[in-house]
Amino acid sequence: MKSGSTLTTAESTLQLLKPPSVVTGHLTIGGLDDQVLTPVGTKPPLAWFVAFSVTLSATLIGIALIAYTIATGIGVWGNNVPVAWAFDIINFVFWVGIGHAGTLISAILLLFRARWRNAISRFSEAMTIFAVICATLFPLIHVGRPWLAFWLAPYPNQRAIWPNFRSPLLWDVFAVNTYFLVSLLFWYIGLIPDLASLRDRTTNRVKKAVYTVLALGWRGASLHWHHYERAYLIIAGLATGLVLSVHSVVSFDFAVSLVPGWHMTIFPPYFVTGAIFAGFAMVVMAMVVVRKTMRLENLITDYHLEVMNKVILTCSCLMGYAYLLEGFTAWYSMNPYIHHTFMQYITGSYWWAGWLTITCNVLIPQLLWLRPIRRSYSGMILVAVAVTVGMWFERFVIIVSSLHQDFLPSSWQIYKPTFVDYGILLGSFGLFFTLVLLFARVLPVIATSEMKMVLPGSQPAHKGGRHE
Amino acid sequence: MRLPEGIDAISRRRFLSLLAASMALTAGSSCSRIDRGKIVPYTRKPARGIPGVSAFYASTFQEGLAIQGVLVRTREGRPIHLEGNPEHADSRGMLSLRATGDLLGLYDPDRLGLPVHKGVRSNWQDATKALNNVLSDARLMDKRVLLLTGASASPSLKALLYDLRLALPGLRHVAWEPAAPVAQLAAARALFGKPMISRPDLRRADVILSFQSDFLGVEPDAPVLINDFASRRGVSTPTDPMNRLWVVEGHMTLTGANADERIQARPSRMTSLAFALARLLHREHSLPLPAGLDPAELDYFDLDRVSAASSVKASTMRLLARDLVRAGQSGVVLAGAPLPMEAHAACHLLNFMLGSEKHIMDRAQPFDLAGNVELKEILEQAARGEFAVGIFWGANPAYAFPDPALWKRAINGIPETFRIGLYEDETALDCAWRLPEHHWLESWGDFESPGFIGIRQPVSGPLHNTRQAEDLLLACLRGMRIQTQSTYLEYLKARWRSGVYVPGMPVPFESFWNSALHDGGVRRDSAQQASLQLNPEPLRKALESVRAEADSGGLELVLAPAAGVHDGRYSNNGWLNELPDPVTKATWSNPLLISPADAERLGLKDEDVVTVSSGTATVDAPVLVQPGQASGVAGIALGYGRRTGNVALAIGANAYQLLKGLTGDSFVIRSARISRSNSRSAIPRTQDHHRMEGRDLARSWALAEYAKTVDGGKTHHAHTASLIPEQKFPGQKWGMAVDLSKCVGCSSCVIGCQSENNIPVVGPERVLMGREMHWIRIDRYYEGDQQSPSVRHQPMFCQQCDDAPCEIVCPVNATTHSPDGLNQMTYNRCVGTRYCSNNCPFKVRRFNFFDYTSTKKEPETLVFNPEVTVRPRGVMEKCTFCIQRIQDAKQNAKHEARQVRDGEITPACVAACPSGAIVFGDLNDPESAVSKVSKLDRHYRLLEELGIKPSVTYLADIANPVAAEDKA
Repeated sequence: MKSGSTLTTAESTLQLLKPPSVVTGHLTIGGLDDQVLTPVGTKPPLAWFVAFSVTLSATLIGIALIAYTIATGIGVWGNNVPVAWAFDIINFVFWVGIGHAGTLISAILLLFRARWRNAISRFSEAMTIFAVICATLFPLIHVGRPWLAFWLAPYPNQRAIWPNFRSPLLWDVFAVNTYFLVSLLFWYIGLIPDLASLRDRTTNRVKKAVYTVLALGWRGASLHWHHYERAYLIIAGLATGLVLSVHSVVSFDFAVSLVPGWHMTIFPPYFVTGAIFAGFAMVVMAMVVVRKTMRLENLITDYHLEVMNKVILTCSCLMGYAYLLEGFTAWYSMNPYIHHTFMQYITGSYWWAGWLTITCNVLIPQLLWLRPIRRSYSGMILVAVAVTVGMWFERFVIIVSSLHQDFLPSSWQIYKPTFVDYGILLGSFGLFFTLVLLFARVLPVIATSEMKMVLPGSQPAHKGGRHE
Repeated sequence: MRLPEGIDAISRRRFLSLLAASMALTAGSSCSRIDRGKIVPYTRKPARGIPGVSAFYASTFQEGLAIQGVLVRTREGRPIHLEGNPEHADSRGMLSLRATGDLLGLYDPDRLGLPVHKGVRSNWQDATKALNNVLSDARLMDKRVLLLTGASASPSLKALLYDLRLALPGLRHVAWEPAAPVAQLAAARALFGKPMISRPDLRRADVILSFQSDFLGVEPDAPVLINDFASRRGVSTPTDPMNRLWVVEGHMTLTGANADERIQARPSRMTSLAFALARLLHREHSLPLPAGLDPAELDYFDLDRVSAASSVKASTMRLLARDLVRAGQSGVVLAGAPLPMEAHAACHLLNFMLGSEKHIMDRAQPFDLAGNVELKEILEQAARGEFAVGIFWGANPAYAFPDPALWKRAINGIPETFRIGLYEDETALDCAWRLPEHHWLESWGDFESPGFIGIRQPVSGPLHNTRQAEDLLLACLRGMRIQTQSTYLEYLKARWRSGVYVPGMPVPFESFWNSALHDGGVRRDSAQQASLQLNPEPLRKALESVRAEADSGGLELVLAPAAGVHDGRYSNNGWLNELPDPVTKATWSNPLLISPADAERLGLKDEDVVTVSSGTATVDAPVLVQPGQASGVAGIALGYGRRTGNVALAIGANAYQLLKGLTGDSFVIRSARISRSNSRSAIPRTQDHHRMEGRDLARSWALAEYAKTVDGGKTHHAHTASLIPEQKFPGQKWGMAVDLSKCVGCSSCVIGCQSENNIPVVGPERVLMGREMHWIRIDRYYEGDQQSPSVRHQPMFCQQCDDAPCEIVCPVNATTHSPDGLNQMTYNRCVGTRYCSNNCPFKVRRFNFFDYTSTKKEPETLVFNPEVTVRPRGVMEKCTFCIQRIQDAKQNAKHEARQVRDGEITPACVAACPSGAIVFGDLNDPESAVSKVSKLDRHYRLLEELGIKPSVTYLADIANPVAAEDKA
């Protein structure tokens, strides 16, 4: 009797330690297809059109202001000397950061066999693609003569002039482009079985033709699956390196320079963490909306959201550590310039941005220690919004606050953004969400082929249990 | 088959090779995409000059009482740059920044291009006819004619005016300048019987005492005085003799900023302080008073009484007196232009007592100039209808005369009015006829300076349908049937033939004239000044009037010409408007400068708009809290608040109006009031932060400290280790050294650079945003207490680092290093990522945020130096060490198969610098001046600890305050 009860306790403990099921309720393979693939073929609801018109308007504002900038000059922005970079590079780093979650979820979590990634991988990968599109926009338009921006590419030319391979900005070009290409490829490969499903389900001839081409003749043969799994794994391996490299390289833009506040060895890990942090926050925000509006609660469960919130909490602690370390470096190095810059962060002209960063990135996410908050919509939305704002302002602090007061006090100057700066920032959000909304209506937001692997009963079972 | 003769000579192989060759040639020749256009050679070579090669002409610049020789560089017949003419015996190659900047005035698109009558375009025939008619009429009917001009020191013009007066007995000529030191002239007239400006030779001065004199800043002879002053500042060992500058002043001037000992006092106390000093010198150091002055008359100026009234410590006055006595006749006392006549008289007294009036004040320049008081009388006569004709040439009374209502009445009281000027300005708008005159760079003229008669010659054909004013006057003479020369050039030559050329000379007149044209004038023995006799009577009067004075206790306001736009004559000049004031660093504005104590008392902060009033006149201006300003003293610059001109319009406030109630010719308002308004107005400044934040930037040591530093070997040099192999510069390596001890911060280099390097003007809104384009910035820091700070100046431009941080970060290789040590900028390659600017620790790179050039109106584009690329928008730019001049010198040297000589290359800033603070040359040549200077004990490199190895060396500023033991 006694031993029996011990056994029960041990079993229940074991049961508790087991990850919960990643799909709730009873769902068949066909039911899954119906649930995920139906919205792709049907007319969107009114709410979608409302949302789309808002985001498209924002995009058009952004495009108009970019056209104005290109026609007139960078002078329509608030940038000056010494603050030669401002919203342009803040937005670039911000969007590249947002783009980090997708690949991390797809690639690294795939390699770690985290089953909960399957439900959110498609969506977050799509967000990566869109975020990187938004990001690449900024380096292109921020140069003084955008029509000559192709000179950054190492193309053979008759004058035999190559780009300067010592410049971190050039490394950026390579890093971001590689990242974009690999992410796109990874996303596309993952889409092939789903595209085939769509091809098979649609009756519309045009759609059928498009999906047929995109599905690359996928028939679901074993050989196809074999090749598919291989390719997916290989690219996941490639992408894993990129998750770490791309933001490290972006951080080199700063770390390799000699500007106080930029010239820090902590920057690469600090930037990568920040990027994952911001990316996850954006995914959480989008997921909550998608799950609710597309009725996917059974596939994107509270468990998913909670796991992501735990990642956010971890990153938040790491960010706090990085901020503290910056202060420590400023103090320990006894370098008056770095010391001044750090004090500027928290007490200077942009002190509010510094404290906003700390509040949003370190203090507010600490709420996630509480389980009810990790599982409540309002709680996680609050944190996700705070993190998104905080991470944008973190880049503001790093770029603007560091630049506006560097070595010679005579050159110090306040930076003030103009309406064009705000408009283009708005436009980039518009573009991002426009692409997200379009994506939600033309492609399956959940990787059905991957979900099918984790449906109850999808795996061979014996003795009443499942291999996991 | 037999082949025809000759064919067999070509083998198959040969045939094929010919075929291939001709194919290749055809292909090659058709590949060229270059549109060569039409190239037509000159059938006849232009009369003068080789295209692409600069021609230099000497001329003379005049601005009020300042006369300087200029060398005009022209390319293809148009002037592109002005520098000082070293042949000019008086200005010795020093040129005011405003002269350099006035080149832009020549090409000003706002210039009036043809005669205008009552707002309608007219022509010269009608205009001259109208002028002739009214003058002939006036001559016949014996009516009075008013001719108002600016100051002139031209002997030929004087002769011409004399001729005119003979023909027109009713002519009343008034020479008037709105901001000239009339009180100084009046003091000289009273004391010595001759209105003149004394010029100290500061090279001989050991102790200089300035009572509010801004002789390093806005006073007429500043460029030469800066040179003299700096010649005694650049010490190479602690034992070198150095001068000491004492400045007693109310508002902070550039001179005060350079003082070794600065004493703050209200301008109204200056005269009593000077008399107290005289009494001290007489009683305690027994220096004799001039004959006729009873020592008892000075008794009122008892040290304790004056010290109590002026809050200047008695001990400081004793120290000053001791220092002056020690210097003896090498001590000189200067009174500032804004001060009243009594102060000037008191300073003359001090110089007489010291003996420096003879020793140092050896050159004087006579001027006959009316002040506002005299002009007021004339205008009242005009208002009463006493003048039939009014000709207003040069000076702009409608803008600068303090009483606009009186001016209106006067101009309405004159039936026939003519304006001769460059612009359709305020005065022109009030006159019926507006006659455009030549710019001085298009004109003839001559100017008398001590020891030199300078010639002004046209260096450009007239750009518009304009006439030289003197030619108009000659035409009037001819119109009155008086025999005279047909052109002013003829007139000038005739006068020179009779007045300057001595018939016994070994060369014929034409050769003499040509050589004078070449040199910019002729030297004349400066007639050894007859020893001046001081008339004690005016002194006695001055003593009395100062005794009678009661201290109003109100706010004292000092008005002084602006550093850039001066008295308003350059208001339409973008370069001079955008020149940061050497002290405040404000551009495009004339803020009211108040002391930190007053600001606190009145609850005012920077950019609060206040209403300044004096009597019934009021002016609105934003406040700028000026460290070092004496409490109870405010300052404001003249020359702003113009009502005409596309550039000048609505910039700043017209401070002349505040002079309305003044009875004398001083520029100090004794009881101004300020009341705050609720609005704010941004002041575009190029520097927003004024402290060094404990950083080792502009080093300054007192002389005693310097001695210790050198002895103890404490000169701080960073030791930096680097993993990167050191750059090698096998041939030349260009470098620069800036002596902060010589640099006074006058900002001439800024304008010189702007003119040479086609630097755009961006306007006040963009200066506010931090987008000014100047390649040279004069950093100015206030160290120590805000109420009495020590002021540092540090010219800052590209430091041409050997391991330049900008170069590694440029992704497109647009900025690279040259084998002779220059950090080059390839504009064509720049895409404008601005990364280089971020990574430049000196922030000396400038970005073309907009297209600043294509919006220019003709003929402004002619001002561009064809040897320097005009940068398009989206491109980064910066100081190049004037690479075009380096290349020019290198090519010349190569042609002549020799090395470039030291001193052969003078970048524009070096040429423009009156103090000689900047030295340029080859650092690889141990004998070059720059190498030698760079090895002095006080040399250092800025931010050396970053390991970027700048090619620019700074020499620490050495101050010479009274030693601590003397103070004790």
